[in-house]
Amino acid sequence: MIAVAIDEAVDTIRNYINNDTDGVSYPVLIDADHLVSELYAISNVPTVILIDEDDMIVHPNWNAYASNTFKEFHGIDADAQLEAIRRWVRDGETMIPVEEVAGAVKDLTDEEERGKLHFRLATHLRNAGDQAGSERNFTRACELAPHDWTIRRASMPLRGGDPFGAEFFELVSEYTAAGSPYHGINHRGVTDHPT
Amino acid sequence: MDAADVAVLTSPPIVNADDLGELIGWTLKPEGLCRDERCVILPDRSVLESDGGVDLAAIAELLDRPCAVDAEAGLVALGAERGQRRGALLERRAPDFTLPDIDGTWHALSDHRSKKKLLVAFSSW
Repeated sequence: MIAVAIDEAVDTIRNYINNDTDGVSYPVLIDADHLVSELYAISNVPTVILIDEDDMIVHPNWNAYASNTFKEFHGIDADAQLEAIRRWVRDGETMIPVEEVAGAVKDLTDEEERGKLHFRLATHLRNAGDQAGSERNFTRACELAPHDWTIRRASMPLRGGDPFGAEFFELVSEYTAAGSPYHGINHRGVTDHPT
Repeated sequence: MDAADVAVLTSPPIVNADDLGELIGWTLKPEGLCRDERCVILPDRSVLESDGGVDLAAIAELLDRPCAVDAEAGLVALGAERGQRRGALLERRAPDFTLPDIDGTWHALSDHRSKKKLLVAFSSW
């Protein structure tokens, strides 16, 4: 297992690790620039990808959970997902026929792609202390990719907002109204990105 | 791919052709835009030229990389070659990446070749 935090909050991630009573035996990587999100078209977390011994993807972007903490909110049964992952690890049994994996996740649009770059510019300027420049690029990124949570929700704490507050529920409502355009396979087992 | 391939450059969008190598690792040669053994053939160099220099946005397009400019801040962001993501989405090839862990030690996906990998993207937000 390789965990990638699409996040710049290193101390918060470190606390997660220190508070894990089972200990953490896998690498926990920090992707402050959202490189992995760009390379794999990741638009929200958690997104899980199964990659085989030959570095081939056997299950693409998948909205899978490690626990049922938020089950009431999203209605996803983590136990069934974990069991499916165990079957792959143990028996090599995959959830999707291999010929259906290719093309199952829609590519980023040009706007979403540029949104990710403006997010990168925004965090760069924020780190350099240029608040106006940072805000300018966060605004642009959110305009370009309004349904990409790795942009819009991730920007909330960086702009003094609350990713669990009113802005979050506003995003949930806009995202749902847009048909829940997740780049990947959601809990209903289908790709639901609009074509 | 590593961090140097996806860069935020402190640069105006139009640069001197001689500075390209230092900025992005690609240089203009008679045959085209080159890096190490790789060359992207460029039949008409004028497509890159603008105001006495070369336009990084045009370079990005030639290399099939996305580009975003903030002229006010003097920054240019270049994304990864789109072929890497297309390879993942259309041909199932997992793009390699190198990232630091929380202690600053660098890890690559390719360090784990010949093992099954569960890649989990998560966050604190």
